[in-house]
Amino acid sequence: MTTSPTHSVTPSQPHSSLRLNPIIKNYLNKLTPWTLPLLLIILWQFSVDVGWLSTKILPSPTAVVQAGIQLAISGELLKNVLTSLSRAVTGFLIGGSIGFILGLLNGLFPLSEKLLDTSVQMLRNIPHLAAIPLVILWFGIGEEAKLFLVSVGVMFPIYLNTFHGIRSIDPGLIEMGKVYGLKPLGLFWQIVIPGALPSVLVGVRFSLGIMWLTLIVAETIATDSGIGYMAMNAREFLQTDVVVFSILMYALLGKVADSFARFLEERWLQWHPNQQLSQV
Amino acid sequence: MITTHTQPKGIDLRIDGLHKTFGHLPVLQNLTLEARPGEFIAIVGRSGCGKSTLLRLITGLELPTQGIIYLDGTPVKRLPPDVRVMFQDPRLLPWQKVDRNVSLGLERSARPKAHLALQQVGLASRAKEYPAVLSGGQRQRVALARALASSPRLLLLDEPLGALDAFTRLEMQQLIEGLWHELQFTVLLITHDVEEAVALADRVVLLEDGQIATDVSINLPRPRSRGSGVFAELVENLRSRVMHHPQSPQSVTRELGYRVA
Repeated sequence: MTTSPTHSVTPSQPHSSLRLNPIIKNYLNKLTPWTLPLLLIILWQFSVDVGWLSTKILPSPTAVVQAGIQLAISGELLKNVLTSLSRAVTGFLIGGSIGFILGLLNGLFPLSEKLLDTSVQMLRNIPHLAAIPLVILWFGIGEEAKLFLVSVGVMFPIYLNTFHGIRSIDPGLIEMGKVYGLKPLGLFWQIVIPGALPSVLVGVRFSLGIMWLTLIVAETIATDSGIGYMAMNAREFLQTDVVVFSILMYALLGKVADSFARFLEERWLQWHPNQQLSQV
Repeated sequence: MITTHTQPKGIDLRIDGLHKTFGHLPVLQNLTLEARPGEFIAIVGRSGCGKSTLLRLITGLELPTQGIIYLDGTPVKRLPPDVRVMFQDPRLLPWQKVDRNVSLGLERSARPKAHLALQQVGLASRAKEYPAVLSGGQRQRVALARALASSPRLLLLDEPLGALDAFTRLEMQQLIEGLWHELQFTVLLITHDVEEAVALADRVVLLEDGQIATDVSINLPRPRSRGSGVFAELVENLRSRVMHHPQSPQSVTRELGYRVA
């Protein structure tokens, strides 16, 4: 009995000389985004060493790192970072809660929306940073002023995105929930909140960006602690390396905040089709 | 001696002079329909004839402008617990896993019933996955399991197979018929597919101009063989009727296993 040869389809191996081990490929993929920044930093250091760039304009990377190390050793860095951080977080919690609750109310109850939405939108269009002189008049130059500014800045993106999240819930799901015996509270926790969550998290990410921006500006209003104080103080003494380091600190903390938001997204939005795709 | 009254597994449905008007638009007019416990009724009609409105009135999601719907002799209250709906789209909660979706609205103690329902539709192995990874047909099967999990006595199917491909549709039809045969609940199947209606139903009802225009009993034995001439002719006649074509004289006079009301 003869067996007919089966025509099998095998994946063809690339015959190029660069047959890379997948592990090496993985490393290369991860490192490639960093090659350009690394190149820029090397170029930066080189420019200062050779004299193209005056240290008065921009100190070298090594000088910035050294300044950072000194601040860390003296304990100043930690103190100022914690102060800034606590201001930011407190402002975020206050403004975020107000925005979230308002968004929920206006999203769920048409009457509430009719009453409040237009007023909220009008307030939103006032750039809160432009109102700083007014804020100083009201709150002085202490912690309250900074917290107020951060809260106001954080409130509106979260309000908008919560409102939008609730309004864009598939009404078919609500109808189905009713038919399958869910009471209003069950509808709220099982359908409304999870349904609005992706939008809310987008609002959170936006708000985090605004939070840092507002904090940086707020910390230039006569302050005696925080990263902004550290930078302003250094400016008085022409310590440009500390100034640059402070900016980098802000950037780093901003990145950390954003990463935290993405972490939340990944945990809470596991079910999302887009997330599923990214895991393939 | 205490005699226990065993409730029949299907609801007795009676619709009496039902009217439903949206604004100035009358959708249902003087609709009267009866379904005995365990009967499988298919409702066919063109788009916009009021089929979905009828279902929503039975579930109590809408209130009739006039007329009463009786379930086991009592007028429908809002969202009667023995009635379940399967919609045209699966309407699964994307953020809950399949088993949680199936047990929606059930108490914790009733969760094993959800697992049993998943087994009945053949998806027990996918219980711990999210709906996003399932195909359209699989999602509709989960939706069917969800409808069955609470042991309904009246199952309302609102064109549930319309979005599926032909093969999946056939499988689902067999699945629905099998489960109905086993569990004996009353079924109201809304479909635009006349062949599906004739294949599955005891009676096919034509909804036209907001009223029952025809009520045809299908007396063919089960399982229905779709290839038989009787079957095909029945489908064709019904289809013609839906599309207002004049029926050929022969088919009206011949005894073909159906009666036109």
